[in-house]
Formats: sequence, structure tokens, C-alpha cells
Amino acid sequence: MIQLQNASRWYGQVMGVNDVTCEIGPGVTALLGMNGAGKSTLMRLITGQMQPTTGSVMVDGESVFGNPNVYRKLGYCPEIDDFYEHWSGRKFVTHLARLTGFSATEAKARAERVLAEVGMADRADKKIAGYSKGMRQRIKLAQAMVHDPQAILLDEPLNGLDPVGRREFINLLGDLANQGKTILVSSHILFEVEQMTRSILLLNRGRLLASGDLGVIRELIDKYPHRVRVESHEPRRVAERLVSLPFVLKVEFDPRGDALEVQTREPGKFYDFIPQLVLDENLPIEGFSSPDNNLESIFGYLVEA
Amino acid sequence: MNVVEVSHLTVQYGSFTALNDFSCEIPEGCTGLLGPNGAGKTTLIKTLLGFVQPQSGTARILGDDVVSSGPSIRQKIGLMPEQDCHIPGMTAVSFVAYAGELAGMPSAQAIRRAHEVLEHCGLGEARYRNVETYSTGMKQRIKLAQALVHGPKVLFLDEPTNGLDPRGREEMLDLIRSISHGKGVNVLVSSHVLRDIERVCDRVVVVMKGQLRATGTIQELKAIQGQPLDVEVREPNNAFASRLMEIGAVVGPPKNNIYRVQLAGDVRQAHITVQAAARATNAQIRGFRVAERSLEDAFLDAVQPGEPPHILHATTATGGAQ
Amino acid sequence: MASPIADVSYRDYDGPLFAARYRWWVIAKQGILLASKKRNLQVLSFVSAWYYLAMIIVLFFVNQGGSGGNSEAGNRIMEGIMKNVVWKDQFLHGFSFAQLPLLLVTLVLGAGAIANDNRSRALLVYLSRPCTKLDYLIGKFVGIFVPIFVILAVPTILFYGYCALSFNQYGFLRDAPWLLPQMLVVILMSAAFHSALVLAVSSMFDQGRVAGATYAAMYFITNFFTVAMSITWATADGKAPEPVKHLFYGSIDGLQIGFCKAILDTRGSRPFVGGQRGAEANLPVPAPPLLAISLILLAIIAGSAFLTWRRIRAVEVVG
Repeated sequence: MIQLQNASRWYGQVMGVNDVTCEIGPGVTALLGMNGAGKSTLMRLITGQMQPTTGSVMVDGESVFGNPNVYRKLGYCPEIDDFYEHWSGRKFVTHLARLTGFSATEAKARAERVLAEVGMADRADKKIAGYSKGMRQRIKLAQAMVHDPQAILLDEPLNGLDPVGRREFINLLGDLANQGKTILVSSHILFEVEQMTRSILLLNRGRLLASGDLGVIRELIDKYPHRVRVESHEPRRVAERLVSLPFVLKVEFDPRGDALEVQTREPGKFYDFIPQLVLDENLPIEGFSSPDNNLESIFGYLVEA
Repeated sequence: MNVVEVSHLTVQYGSFTALNDFSCEIPEGCTGLLGPNGAGKTTLIKTLLGFVQPQSGTARILGDDVVSSGPSIRQKIGLMPEQDCHIPGMTAVSFVAYAGELAGMPSAQAIRRAHEVLEHCGLGEARYRNVETYSTGMKQRIKLAQALVHGPKVLFLDEPTNGLDPRGREEMLDLIRSISHGKGVNVLVSSHVLRDIERVCDRVVVVMKGQLRATGTIQELKAIQGQPLDVEVREPNNAFASRLMEIGAVVGPPKNNIYRVQLAGDVRQAHITVQAAARATNAQIRGFRVAERSLEDAFLDAVQPGEPPHILHATTATGGAQ
Repeated sequence: MASPIADVSYRDYDGPLFAARYRWWVIAKQGILLASKKRNLQVLSFVSAWYYLAMIIVLFFVNQGGSGGNSEAGNRIMEGIMKNVVWKDQFLHGFSFAQLPLLLVTLVLGAGAIANDNRSRALLVYLSRPCTKLDYLIGKFVGIFVPIFVILAVPTILFYGYCALSFNQYGFLRDAPWLLPQMLVVILMSAAFHSALVLAVSSMFDQGRVAGATYAAMYFITNFFTVAMSITWATADGKAPEPVKHLFYGSIDGLQIGFCKAILDTRGSRPFVGGQRGAEANLPVPAPPLLAISLILLAIIAGSAFLTWRRIRAVEVVG
């Protein structure tokens, strides 16, 4: 539903995003990257706060910048925490609903509904100045949802939430995604991104480095040596056998003496060979797993490369 | 000696009770302080720093009572606050040296030590720059440097990875881990990102509603009863799962290509059984390990309302701090 | 034991640590150190001494003209001038004319002292160490007080020394034997007054610039009284209504000039060598009662200190 075609944006001499082409469909998509990689610029381009210097940004086939039609379909939850501090959360959300163009009663009803959805209904009458970071995040999400947009963009929404709040927030985003909404979330905490989605967009120094499903991306970067940690109480006996295999590149012992780390360029072959080691050759292997199959190591590979 | 000993501590603000008959002991090493917002973590740290007068109970740091020792207790403590903070108009070196002097170091020692600590925190090249020009990651580092300059025996870190990108986060965690193991610094980390706690801490203390909810080593908290196994396959394979069930295993539905399997016998034996089943059904096994729950699940279990607090007591104090 | 390769990873500090007393001095020392490095402050301290410098030049040439020519006429002219000089009034002028530059000095030193700390949450750094709120306040106060005192006192002492050495025969020491200690009391009070007031203003804001603008506004708005009253006084030819005498002292400037007049027990005279002994009618506004003006100044200092104390909240240190 969101389409970027060769979109670039620079500020004077400073490059924000550079020639990004991608499509973001319904469901949760995570936007990843280092500080300064261009995540916030991308969000601003998609929400129409900025015009791409070159290329185009479209939502449902319409250009975004300066197009109120499109703005109605988008909700944005920015990273910064600037509110009308002396207003109550309820008043804040209601007013923003009014700004979208709803009548007073409609705005009130909608505000009530989203406040209940984000779990703020009972606390929304306090002044925002007295809110905790977690309550602020919830109010920000409420104002982004109040006009029932098709797409919601969230910049670091989990910042400052406690673990319980994080879990609730992640579940809430999952529910929205199940309703068919398009959700784009930026986050630095890769472990949590993994709990939200398998679909990522990875920016690095303004360029789009990877996009799509994590599993597919992992398969594609198999050109890097794949690490497997093998647990055994006789690691040297296991190692002796492993080094004789042609697809094993490197074997390293864990200093604690109960495991070893194997590097291979052909993980498929390696995994296929394990049953023979365990069943036919009766090697003492208690367990094995790859530390490379999580987002953190994929991110590391892609960004360091 | 325990780093922190708190017994029957009650702290009230007006009619609000922030800590209610709170007792806990924190041994040497690196400990995570967990709890939902408003659980009393902040009040505990404030009390330990001597800012808040408890209504009843005692709190000791390294054997000194925090109420009777007054501000001198803060000489042994370093605090890295959550918010950005620095002293305006100073370069990093003079700021950190000044912080050392405020803690009581002679000025010559403070300067020497400021250079050393900044170098260690990875700000060696930027140390003559004004702190106001620092990026988020550098600001976090300088906060750590100013907390370390006077050689504290106890270090409180409040959300040390806030605002850091994955690489910055990694570096900060390595830094914390290196100072908290074998360097004589005991660290108490408070963070909402449990993954970070898992990386650097040996133990956790879970606070909820002003009371101790759970405490123990991370390993203890993560262990699951009955030692189930996680078997990762290349792609979900129903034949493989049913084959295992025929043998008498309890197999859960696959999640991210991982089956949780409960099998009788020791791990080695179970591994052979599973591999045999896989070979028979043509499934490729990509991982086989004893299942653990994430610290996050353990934490969410612990703070489940209503459930009686299950308090784990660690049998051995881990961690290399002397 | 000694390895040839040193371990340069993090190590503990086991060196000496001073006890938690006198921590305020560390803060004050830092303030003084930062002040001494400010270039604009060095310029301003010269500017604030301009009257003394000008007087030294004037007196030097008068002296040269008198004794250098060694003629009867020259000596007589000089006698005439010197007889008219009221020595203590020269110090009153020196102090009064230093007020405007002193405002700038105070702004440079004090406007950001607490305001900038508020913005960068520096209190977290201070209070997480063995420092108390009192240490912080005293340290900040002394850090402003000492530079102001030095900037005011040094030219005064130099001018006093010059006069004492060169003009004793014209009654310098005889006219006002307690002049130097009196001036030092005035300067002490002035430095304390400015420091306390600017700290109070600074603690209200979290931007040094805003605090500075507020303090300057306070200075100039209240100064309106002093200027307006002195014009009224001068044009009324000695018949001005009673309140004019009091309102003249109703400003930051006025209070201090009033205190100086009261301590020195003088009404003042025209600046430079045009002093008029005994000519009542054209003299400036008479000195206020010493006790009253001292109490007012002390009350303002105490009030400012209290306000600052209230504004700095120690409890919000964590979270």
C-alpha cells in the first residue's frame, strides 16, 4: 500500500535517504538501522512531512506530499515527546480528532474508543505533564489511531515502556496488523522486533540494505560462514571427526570445555550430516544450535559488511 | 559480604507507600533490578543513595547503614542516571575530573583518573570536546565515565542503553560486563530491556508493588520444570511431529520452525531418539537444545497479579567481583 | 608477579578520597576558575574601574602641574584644587560609576550559574556524590561572590594606596581614617547582594540567556526610579518633596549607592576634582539612614537565598 520509487532526500549537503525503492504492505514491518541511517527521514517522507528531493512516495497510488486525501489514511506516532503539557490526554486526543475533521460528538466517541484500546481510558483525565513515559507512548499511539487510518507509522514506540507495557504494546500492534492495517515500526531493540514481525526494512547510511522476510534474507546471506555451536562433554573427540569433513571451515573450543563452535560455508550439508554422526558413529553430541539465526546477527552481518 | 542488605524497609511519600516492608540481599557481582513502572525501583535506589528517609527498617551498602553514614556513603557509589546530565560549559575531561573532585579526589588524581576512565569508556578521542556537542551514544558513555571516576565499589546504572542503536548498545553492554566482572565493581542495573539484563547480569531482583517478588540467578529463573527440549527444523514437518508423538513424546505446535518436545531419558538419549525420528521422516534438524524460557517470560510470570510470590534463593553467589 | 605486559583495562581507584566536608569549596573553586578564564570578564573588570583610572590620571597631571613647574602660581592653583577634593566622595564615585559594568560582570558570572545547570540536569551529577544541596548553594554563591569582590576591591585598594602615598599632605588620611575598611564593607555587601539576587533569578529559569535578560530587566526597570528621582531632585533646587529622597534608593543601583553613602557618611559631590565643601544646596540626595538600608539589603539577600533554596529540589535526583 505504501510505495517508494527511487526516493531520495537530502538536506543541503547531508544525505537523508538515498534512492530507496520498496513496497510496504499490510502487516507489521520493522524499520531498522543505526542512528543516522535515515529511518526518521523515511518516516517523514512517507507521512508527507517532506517532499522527496528525487523519486516518488505513493500511498495507494497517490503521491503523498501535500495531499490531505492521503493524510487521512495515515497515522503517525513520532519519537519526540512534545505535547500540550497542561492538557489532559483525553482532551489532546479529542482535539486531534477534531482537527482531522470529525464533529465534536464523533471526535469524543472516537477518542473514548481509542483510549480504551490503548488502555488509557481510566487515566486519561490527568494532565499530560504528569504522565510517565509509557503513558505518553500510549497517548501518542491513541492520537495516531483516532481517525482509523489504514497505515500507522511508529518511531521507537517501545522506548520507556516497562516489560509488561512492551508486551501489551506488541500485542496491540499485532491486533491492528490482523485487522489488515499496515504498520511500520522503527526500533533499536532487535530482540523485540523479532517478537513483532519477520518482515524488515534495513537502512544503512541512507541506502536500503535489505527488505523482506527475515528467513529469506538469512538464506541469502549464507555466503557468510555459518556458525553452529555443538555441545558435548567430549568436545575434542567430536572435533576430531568434524575437522575431517570438507565443508567445515573452522573449529573452535569453548573455554569451559563443554562445547565447540563450528564454522561452515554449507550449513545444509552440515545439518544433513549430523544424524550420521549421532546415530551411526555414536558421537557424544548433546545438542547443537546456531547463534546466527536471530535478527541481531543478521543485522550485524548486513551492517558490518 | 553482601553489597546491599535491606531489611524490613518501608518508605512512604505522604499516604503513598512506595516500599512496603521490603527485604532483600544483593551479593557481589552484577545484578539486574527489575520491576514494572511504579514498582518502587526508583525509591529503592533513592533510599540507598541516602536521599529518602525510610519510615522504618534499615538499608546497608557494603555494611554501612545508609541513614547514619550520611553523604559519605555516596563516595563508594557511582550513579549513572537515566536522563542526560552534564555540567554545562566544560570539556569532557574537565567535567569528569570535576566530578571526581566532587567525590573527594585530590585534583591531580582526579585529572589523571578522568583521562583513564574516558579512555576506557571509548571517549579517548573526544575527551577535549565540549560535552554539549556529544551524540546520544557519547552522552551515555560520559555518564558512565563520571559515575566511575572516583572508583566506586557499587555502581547504579539506570537504563544504560536508552537511545542507543544496536551497535552502541552492544558496546555499552560489553563495557558494563567488563567492569562488573573481576574489577571489584559491583553493579546494579535497572532496565526495561530484559535482553540487556540477560547479557550483563548474573542475578536479578524483581520488585513489585513495593515488595520483593523474586530473586535468584538468571539461570534459575529461566529454567523450565521437566527439562523440555527445543528442536528446530528447516521447515515444519507434520510427519516428524507425529512420529515423535508415536514414541511417546509430548510435542507442542511449531513456533518459528521450533518444536518444543518433552521426552523421557537424558539429553543424549533424547537427541538420538529425535535424530532417528528425523531421519525416518526426512526432516532436517537445525538445532537441538534444552529449552529455556526467556527472561522476559520469567519476568512476566513473576509479576503476574495474584500469584503468590515465588522467591528463589540463590545457593551460590556468582560473579567474579572480589 | 610483575608481568612485563601491563594490564590497561579498567582498574579500580584506591587512592585518597577526602572526607565529605567542605565540598562547597570544590564547587566554588570551579566557579572562580571558570570566571578567571573568561576574556570578556577581564575587559569588564577594567571598564568597571574606569573612574579610578581616570582620577589617577587627573590627579597625576594636577600634581605634575603643581610641583613640576615649581612656581608660586602653579602651587597656588594646585592648593585650590586639592582643598576642594572630598576624598571619601571619590570612592563613592568610583563605586557608583562601577555599577553599570558591574551589572554586566554579574550577568556573565551568574546568569547561567544555576539556569544552565537546570537545563543540563547538572544537579544529578552534584547530588549523586557526597555533596548536599547546601554545599551546592554555598559553592555557587561563593563562586560568584569572590570574583565580584575581587573586581571591585582591587581598583579601590590600588587607588587608596596611590592617594595615601601621594596626597597625605592634603588630608587624605586625616579626613577619613576608616576609609579603606569602610569601602571593603561596602564592596562585601555589594558583592553579596548581586550574587544572591542573580542566583535567585538564575534558579527560576533553565536558560542562562533568559535569566540574564530578566536580571537586566529588573536592573533597568528599577533604575528608572533612581534616574527620575535624581532629575527631580536636581531641578527642584533643594525643595523636592520628601518621598523623592527615599525613592531615589529604590533600585539595585540606588540601594548600593545609598549603603555606600550611609557607611561613608557623605551626601556625595560632583565627580572629579570639582568637589564643593560646604555648599549645601546643590549637593545630591542625602544619605539614607544606615540601619534601615542595611536591613533592607540583608533582607533581600536572605529572601533571595531562601527563594533559591526552594527552587532547587534535591529529591528529584533519580527518575
